[in-house]
Amino acid sequence: MSPLENISEKLGTTEPWVEKGGVHWLPLGAMNVRELATAMNGLHARFVTITAYQLPKEEGFRLEYHWDLDGQLLGFSFPLADKSIESIYDLCEAVDWIEREIHEGFGLDFLGREYEPLLLRQGETPGVNLRDAVAASQEKK
Amino acid sequence: MSYKIPMGPYHPALEEPYKLDLICEGETVCDSKLRIGFNFRGIEHLAETRNYIQVVALMERVCGICSNIHTLTLCQAMEGLTGLTPPPRAKYIRVIMAELERLHSHVLWAGIAAKLMGFKTMFMTCFEIREKVMDVLCAISGNRVNYAMNRIGGVNRDISDPQAILKMVEALELEMAHTVIPIFTTSRTAISRCANIGVLTTEKAVSCGVVGPTARASGLPQDLRRAAPYAAYAEMEFDVPVQPAGDVTARLLVRALEIMESCKILRQALAKLPPGEFHTPDDKFPFITGTATSRVEAPRGEVMYSVSWREGSRTPSRVHVRTPTFANMPAIHWMVMGARLADTPLIQASIDPCYSCTDR
Repeated sequence: MSPLENISEKLGTTEPWVEKGGVHWLPLGAMNVRELATAMNGLHARFVTITAYQLPKEEGFRLEYHWDLDGQLLGFSFPLADKSIESIYDLCEAVDWIEREIHEGFGLDFLGREYEPLLLRQGETPGVNLRDAVAASQEKK
Repeated sequence: MSYKIPMGPYHPALEEPYKLDLICEGETVCDSKLRIGFNFRGIEHLAETRNYIQVVALMERVCGICSNIHTLTLCQAMEGLTGLTPPPRAKYIRVIMAELERLHSHVLWAGIAAKLMGFKTMFMTCFEIREKVMDVLCAISGNRVNYAMNRIGGVNRDISDPQAILKMVEALELEMAHTVIPIFTTSRTAISRCANIGVLTTEKAVSCGVVGPTARASGLPQDLRRAAPYAAYAEMEFDVPVQPAGDVTARLLVRALEIMESCKILRQALAKLPPGEFHTPDDKFPFITGTATSRVEAPRGEVMYSVSWREGSRTPSRVHVRTPTFANMPAIHWMVMGARLADTPLIQASIDPCYSCTDR
């Protein structure tokens, strides 16, 4: 059994892995991010980062979680119906700063944790969408 | 009774602006809080307004030390979106530039660490050697800091006389082997200032997800050049130095040994530089809709770029950069816990932090 098949088995999914753009992607179906983080901890995978995407029009946001397993970059995508998702900070200490950065840059909430500000906008309230804030300030001008 | 010592955002012991609030009892640090963002420039957002040529020039400005690594990672990701494969010669030139940049970064770090140890003669020696590394980079690229070497599909400039560059590298290697390495590994000043301070245990290194020399100095043998080779690293023979102690001495030793490994890689790459083109012939190419990701082992650890493009668009829809200091810096909290206040500047410097990268 290959390491990727081993992961699928541990995650309890029969979906095939898709290698695209330098990442091995696995569709997760109904699995939530906390179940995923617990499984990744069990596999001793190293957390790499979360990439946030603001989708066009009213489509909302998408978060892509990345872990490294023996040099293979694993990717898991989570579309956000609203502007929040459960935090995995208590399961994976390494996500602390990136959850805080996404909160400050995209205005997304990671539920179940408190934030220390990273201060992307010093003196301003954290937790706003900076892209929208920039667009609004340009409209004013 | 505990009291708070605010260090930064502008402080003589810090090279760049950030804020480290240290909660002390007597001279012992019992807690800390770190704040970044003083250099925040919104470069990721700015990248969404740049075309495929401009975005390479922009991302080179994310960092003043590892500027080449940023364009290398970005170009590799964009090559994934265009389907272009750089010719073998370009891959070797990318390795040469990356290793020269690692040398320059590690020697710069060694100089700053020496200054923080109170070893100013060593600081001057390191900076003199660093100048010579920059001379080699300048001989290849025509620039000392932002080299403008990488492009989508290859590199912008050839190395026309590898033997001349090889001679410069050999002279550098000799100088480093006779000065920097022995002094850092045997000098009583270096050892007494660095041993057993700022310890990051292997267990904590795993939990914090640290990368690069910081991880390798805590016993984790992770290096993307070995685990997920890119450019021409699969054709290079080199060792990945690992030290188990997790203290500042271990970080010093890992970087010292990596300097010698970089010289080894440079000699191989210059000797085996394959003939042929150094970039793909086409300057215009369509981008495939989607996202591509690339990772590279920068001097401070793993850099990752995710680039998204929509078909027909002149600009990327998203460029996300995960820098090594962003991964390493939270571990400072654990390194300074229980340390003497006077050791904290050296401890925080031992991860070779780059706030320009982190804030981007």
